[in-house]
Amino acid sequence: MSAPTSPDEGAVGPPERLHPLFLIKGLRRSLRSLGGAYALIAYLAVSGRWSTAVIAAVAILLLGVGGTILYWSRFQFRVGQDEIRIDSGVVNRRHRSIPFDRIQDVDIVQGPLARVLGLAEVKFETGGGGEGPRSEEGVLHAITLERAEAIRRLVRGRRVSALEPARTAEERPPIYAMSAGRVLLAGTFNFSLAVFAALIGFTQTVGQPLGIDPFQESFWRDLVAASAPLEQFALTHRLAGIAAGIALLLLLGLATGIVRTLLRDYGFRLDGTGTGLRRRRGLLTKTDVTLPVKRAQAAIVASGPVRATFGWSELFLQSLAQEERSRGNHELAPLAQPAEVDAILEEMGWLPIPPAPRWTRVSPAYVWSFVLALSPFLLVVVVQAVTVWPMAVIFSLGLFALVALRALAWRRIAYALDGERLLMRSGWWRRRLVILPKSRIQSIDYTENFVTRRFGTATLQFGVAGGSAATHLIPAIPSAAARALRDDLLGSAP
Amino acid sequence: MADLPELLPVETGYKKVLRARLALMWLVLTAGALIAGYALAGSTRFAMLIPAAVLLAGLLAVATVPARIHRRLRYGLSERLLQVVRGWLFHTDTVVPLVRVQHLDVVRGPFDKMFGTATLVLHTAGTHNSTVTVPGLAPERAEAMRDIIRDHVRTDFA
Repeated sequence: MSAPTSPDEGAVGPPERLHPLFLIKGLRRSLRSLGGAYALIAYLAVSGRWSTAVIAAVAILLLGVGGTILYWSRFQFRVGQDEIRIDSGVVNRRHRSIPFDRIQDVDIVQGPLARVLGLAEVKFETGGGGEGPRSEEGVLHAITLERAEAIRRLVRGRRVSALEPARTAEERPPIYAMSAGRVLLAGTFNFSLAVFAALIGFTQTVGQPLGIDPFQESFWRDLVAASAPLEQFALTHRLAGIAAGIALLLLLGLATGIVRTLLRDYGFRLDGTGTGLRRRRGLLTKTDVTLPVKRAQAAIVASGPVRATFGWSELFLQSLAQEERSRGNHELAPLAQPAEVDAILEEMGWLPIPPAPRWTRVSPAYVWSFVLALSPFLLVVVVQAVTVWPMAVIFSLGLFALVALRALAWRRIAYALDGERLLMRSGWWRRRLVILPKSRIQSIDYTENFVTRRFGTATLQFGVAGGSAATHLIPAIPSAAARALRDDLLGSAP
Repeated sequence: MADLPELLPVETGYKKVLRARLALMWLVLTAGALIAGYALAGSTRFAMLIPAAVLLAGLLAVATVPARIHRRLRYGLSERLLQVVRGWLFHTDTVVPLVRVQHLDVVRGPFDKMFGTATLVLHTAGTHNSTVTVPGLAPERAEAMRDIIRDHVRTDFA
């Protein structure tokens, strides 16, 4: 082994390997990364060169198995006194040491296969982020669940022993938990047509050699012609067909939302750990993540017109700690009532959302500048009115709907100062309430342009660390008020 | 009320830097237009029309834009804040509390060296505005500002 031998072998810990069953998971991983090769095999198979296709498939399989075994044999980790060392790589060796002090937390993820085999993936959250492929930053792909939990206990013990008196008892009731019914309800709000995106992607990559192309009329014609009675039926009941199609679309979207939510959020449970929040969720892939409260930059309460009617909202944190996929946005509650949101905030040591903050609304210039921007389209309407007038009606109705939505959004946009925090409310369809502590504001931009200057308004935009989804801004504030607000927010900076 | 700093103009040399950069950019555009013009209408006498128009626009931009940008560009450094104001058509006024700065660079490109200017770059943790630049400073001034701000840099994150 070419592992670096340090003088004090005892402090570094004995070398350990990944569980041998990593081969199954690793093989899947390496086979998945060879996407292009399958297209080749499929092409070979479709074009009748079966023997070549089989040889290619076997070669890929052997390559995958060999590569995985090699990776496994060259992967070692050591759990030492103050750090974890990971030595990996076949050609390019990489020796990484992660000091316990730098580990924000240890995440344990179990996929469905891993749960059957009693394995877990361990990720060391260092909050470094940004540099290089993040996925390889301190991940142990497959070790036994017991060992994973032991390592987590060890890391946590090292980290908090000086700061915290004791860990809170495991038996404390959760701060927030979702019943199966609640998860289903959350799913109905997650209407999604992602299935169609996936289908389109599938037909584009695989469909062509197989002769499936739903974007060709002939494809449907041939399909229908293959069953003559259906063709008759479809042609006679066109309207009903359209209605059925829309209903099917809605149903599919609803089902997708429910299934996706069920897979992700089943058994959602949030516990307080004293310095952070521990979140467990997942139906097939179980995740167990701890979110350090100190790293939270802003809290965001999201809702929609329907959800808001019933008092439901979603709570997530913008945090410096990065999470898989959702880049710095950590979901704390997919569907919660105001009291539950306040309870979570309280556990974090944040004040609850005041029942009636003194909102300051923004200028109606927010709507008028939008009308101004749309005004060139009026010309289109005039031209249509002369040529094809039904189009003009539809088009102007569309324009009117856009303006109406903008006006509805304007009614909701407002900001308020709540002690040492800035509250920002926005959106009618995508409702957001951002709670931003003044001390988390990294920079403030005051922007205006030749249009907003006419209206005497400006936009304030806040630089906040972590997260990429949300840019925090308040549009169309009267310029004097905007400058005053900026000075006020910066005035309390330490 | 925050103590906003007094705003100062940047070096006049920055106008030359801008002019050089713009000239370079428009030169490339003109060359592109030449190629496009010949490819689209090589045989007709309109071939030179597009490149000529691009060249004219370029000359106009080089003549007028640098002075306008320079006139609107102001920066200020106080005890606690750095402020950068730029633009009129699209006006931006950025304020960064010095304690929020993560690290600092002084950057000098070839044009900066030619005309005796430097750019101070502040990196904050924010996703929006993660870098704030103050261009067109005298190199000594940029380094002096860097040293002042460096004293305030501290990370208050866990």
